[in-house]
Amino acid sequence: MKSNRRLIQLVIFLGVLVLGGYAIGNALFASKDGLPRKGSEPPDFALLDMNGKTHRLADYKGKALVINFWGTYCPGCVYETPDLVKQYEKHKDKPFEVVGINLGEDKLTINNFVKQFDVSYTILQNENNDVQRKYGLKSYPTTFFVKPDGTILDIFVGPMAEADMDKRIEKLLAS
Amino acid sequence: MLTFENTKCECGHQNPVGTVLCESCGNPLDVEEAASEAPLEMRYDGIARRSQKANPSPIDRVWNFFSSVKVAVRLIVITLIASIVGTIFTQENAFISFDPSTYYEERYGWIGKWYYKLGLSNTYESWWFIGLLVMIGTSLVICSLDRVLPLYRALNKQQIRKHLTFLTRQKTVYASSVEGAPEAWTASMAEQLKRRHYRVHQDGDALLAEKYRFSRWGPYINHIGLIVFLLAVLLRSLPGWAMDTYITVPEGETVQIPETNLYVKNEKFTIDYYKDDELPESLKGTARAKLYETKAVLYECEADCDDPSKQPQLKEVKRHSIIVNDPLSYQGIKAYQFGYDDTPKLKSVNPVLIDHKTGKTYGPFKLEMRNPELTYALGPYTLELRQTYMDFALDSEGKPTTKSKEPNAPAFVFVLKGPDLAEGGEPYMYFPKQNDKARFSQDVINGELAKRFEIKVPSMEGVEFAGVVTSLNIRSDRAMPYIWVGAGISMFGLLLGSYWHHRRIWLRIDGGRVTIGAHTNKNNYGMRAEVASALRGLGIVVEPKSLDNGRNKS
Repeated sequence: MKSNRRLIQLVIFLGVLVLGGYAIGNALFASKDGLPRKGSEPPDFALLDMNGKTHRLADYKGKALVINFWGTYCPGCVYETPDLVKQYEKHKDKPFEVVGINLGEDKLTINNFVKQFDVSYTILQNENNDVQRKYGLKSYPTTFFVKPDGTILDIFVGPMAEADMDKRIEKLLAS
Repeated sequence: MLTFENTKCECGHQNPVGTVLCESCGNPLDVEEAASEAPLEMRYDGIARRSQKANPSPIDRVWNFFSSVKVAVRLIVITLIASIVGTIFTQENAFISFDPSTYYEERYGWIGKWYYKLGLSNTYESWWFIGLLVMIGTSLVICSLDRVLPLYRALNKQQIRKHLTFLTRQKTVYASSVEGAPEAWTASMAEQLKRRHYRVHQDGDALLAEKYRFSRWGPYINHIGLIVFLLAVLLRSLPGWAMDTYITVPEGETVQIPETNLYVKNEKFTIDYYKDDELPESLKGTARAKLYETKAVLYECEADCDDPSKQPQLKEVKRHSIIVNDPLSYQGIKAYQFGYDDTPKLKSVNPVLIDHKTGKTYGPFKLEMRNPELTYALGPYTLELRQTYMDFALDSEGKPTTKSKEPNAPAFVFVLKGPDLAEGGEPYMYFPKQNDKARFSQDVINGELAKRFEIKVPSMEGVEFAGVVTSLNIRSDRAMPYIWVGAGISMFGLLLGSYWHHRRIWLRIDGGRVTIGAHTNKNNYGMRAEVASALRGLGIVVEPKSLDNGRNKS
């Protein structure tokens, strides 16, 4: 009888700890809206590149990855593009990729831009902008630095100077 | 109460620590209770709560904390106050997109600033609010368990012959001398009580009659319901269990509902206004909406859902005209009419190419704003599209750029090739909108070429606008059935506890003197009336009021 009572006590406390811990932990740590944040895994996407080939986030697993959201109508994006191209060229022999997800523009516009800036990294089209929403973008440009283990090292909002990129990419490659 | 040491009753029963009334005979054991003259404290039949122990361990102390009703009431009051505070300003989750770090201060001043800083703008999702709910849930379980098990045991093996003090200190008491054999008198009383639907247990010249015992379980059933309710609320935080999102669907287009394999098509959006003769005097001449309606079709994707290189294969599953408060509903997912945008957006134009020299007109050709064709053959001439700007502007360096991807001020750069033109063609810039053409001086940009050629839309018929965009609020809540079940169980327990009351009557005859004590938790008037009516059945006429134990303060 006595040990039975103790067992019930322990079971109830354990239940409270697990369920209550989950509830409180959820309120404390999980992003309220499921949006990516530092340390979390970025949402999956499946998008077409300029040649009509499908690219998924999973394709980049195991590589250091920079996901850059951009549009030709965003001056900050245009500003940082040449430096991003430079960074890509510098590190492209390493397990390192840069993906530029365009913000809902059409092919002609994207192609002109790619030609104008000699963009050598992968450019993906996202005509209905759903990936942007999943990533919780508030302003452009926004760049996600994803470690080879698939977690986000850093999120940079706004145009990056070369030093901003360099610092983060070095860290990415070291991880 | 916990310091009381001698727990053995004079009847010989060994009671647990904290017992107020002897579990067996009902004699008051608690020192204060024994010394008092007032009606007995009958809560939980005077039994000790499970957790009341002489030497509590740390786990017991935590258990005791949550076992206290006083603590439970405090937790509930704190939660209520927090809930009230959370209603003062609009909560963050009521906005679709805004910046909370500046909104509250701008709107409400320093109070708003602190409201945001203290996290009150997100009260109901904050860790401390959830923590309070978890504590209330724990308290619910432990309080109930601590009381229901001993109570069940106490009610299950009730002593028929109770201590005389136990009877005389009930709220309804009758005492008088009786004639004849005590056992026969008791039996005839039992008969009277049975007629009044009591279950009667007789032990010689002692009797216990009771009815509606089940109502004692009402509060505990109610608590089980509340626990189910709380667990269901917890379920909602699991991914995929609750969704509250917005989609915008232009007329004629099909849009995927995020994180589902469902697609919504907006076949037609209608907004209807009241006519002037339908409006009261004061509102005449104002635009008052009568109807917002989206003719929607819901599709389920069957294959190629996640491959952008293929078109998803859709199967129609539901068709519904969504109006306000009449959502499209499919497998727990509901699409509510939320808003619309009917600002005209250019979709395509059908311009012609005019050769001013010869006076000849070529075309028209269809120029789409989104993903236009790259070459157009017009008689001997060819137009090659080189660049588009949907929202044309000049940047700080004077270079052409676009401000957004919306066709607010579209501009197209063509290369015109054909007879009498330079090898490789000559550039021609075209602004479909007349005011842009003037604003950005199209003819100046095109120079000499503008004198020879012109691209223009001959009539308004050549202009197509995109349909009205409807916005829908998509909601689903898979935890809802469990919430209803919890609420139902809770309500059932509440009904049991409030519409029936446990009534008990004890009787004993000692030396030709009968003593009757009766107890109920609610409606003592009814209890006394029932005892009086049973006595009347035996020919003893008493006023129900006279059964009121004089020491009853209430």
